[in-house]
Amino acid sequence: MAFVVGINIAINLRLVGFLPRFPLAPLFRFYRLHWLAAAVIFLSGLSLLMAYPAKALTNPVFYLKLSALVSALLISRYFQKMLALTGENFELERLVPRLAYLSLVLWIVTVTAGRFLAYTHSVLLASRFY
Amino acid sequence: MLESILGFSQATGIYAFMNTPWGWPLAESIHFIGLCLLIGTVGVFDLRLLGMAPGVAFADLHRLVPLGVAGYFMNVITGVMFFTTAPDQYLFNPAFQTKLSFMLIAGVNMLVFYTTTSAEVKRTSAVLVVPVRARAIGAISLACWCAVIICGRLITYYRPPYYWCAWC
Repeated sequence: MAFVVGINIAINLRLVGFLPRFPLAPLFRFYRLHWLAAAVIFLSGLSLLMAYPAKALTNPVFYLKLSALVSALLISRYFQKMLALTGENFELERLVPRLAYLSLVLWIVTVTAGRFLAYTHSVLLASRFY
Repeated sequence: MLESILGFSQATGIYAFMNTPWGWPLAESIHFIGLCLLIGTVGVFDLRLLGMAPGVAFADLHRLVPLGVAGYFMNVITGVMFFTTAPDQYLFNPAFQTKLSFMLIAGVNMLVFYTTTSAEVKRTSAVLVVPVRARAIGAISLACWCAVIICGRLITYYRPPYYWCAWC
C-alpha cells in the first residue's frame, strides 16, 4: 500500500507543481512498480475479504474505501494513457492538476477508511445471522 | 517505568484523547499517511539511487525529501501517542523492538548518506548511475523502511507476555 500511495503522491505532487518542471516520462517509469504493488494489494485484499466477508461487506466504510481506491487507480491509469498519447503536452491540460489534487485526496480517504475499517465493523461472522 | 510513561500520557491528555472512540483510529490513519509520504519521497529517491527511472535528476527528486521528513515526524508524534497510551503493548514486544532497531539503522544510514555521498549524488547527471556506495545506501534505506512497515503491522498480531522479554 505504501508503495502504491507513495508513488502516486510523488507523481501527483509533480503534477500540481510542487516539484520543478523536469520531464514527466522518466518519473512515470515508477508506475511499473506501482502496478505490481497494486496487484499485491488486490490479492491480499481479496484474501482478507474471503476470510471475513461479512465483516467487510456489511460495513459502509468498506465501500467508501473501495470507491476511493478504484477512483484513484483510474486517475493513475488515465495519467499514464494520456502521457503515452500526448507526451509531455498532457500536463498543459487544465484538468490534469485538478485530477492530481483529487487523486491526493482520494489516497488520503483510502488510507483513512482502511484504518477505520478495523474499528467500525458491526458484524464479524455471517454465522451471527443464523 | 511503565507507570511514569503512562503518567506522562495522562498528564498531557494523550491518554484521554486516545481512549475516545475515534482517537486511536485517527492517530493510526495519520501514522499510515505519514508512512506513505515517507515511502513516496524517501522510498522513491532510494529507488532512483538504485537505478530506476533514469532521466529524473537526483537533485530534482531530492526536493521531495523534506515532505518525507514531515511524514516521518507525523509518524514519530503518532507513534509516541500509541506508545505512551499502552506502553505494556509495546515495551516488551519483540516486533516493536525490531521496528525501532530498523529505524535506528535507517537513521544512521541517512547520516552516512548526507555526510559522505549526498553532494556527489546531487551533482551526478540524470542519465548516469551513481557510485556503488550510494546504491548500497539506497538499498539499505529501502530495506529498512520495508522492515519497519512489516514490524509495525506485526506489533498488532504478536503480543507475547512481558516475561518473554529478554532484557527486562
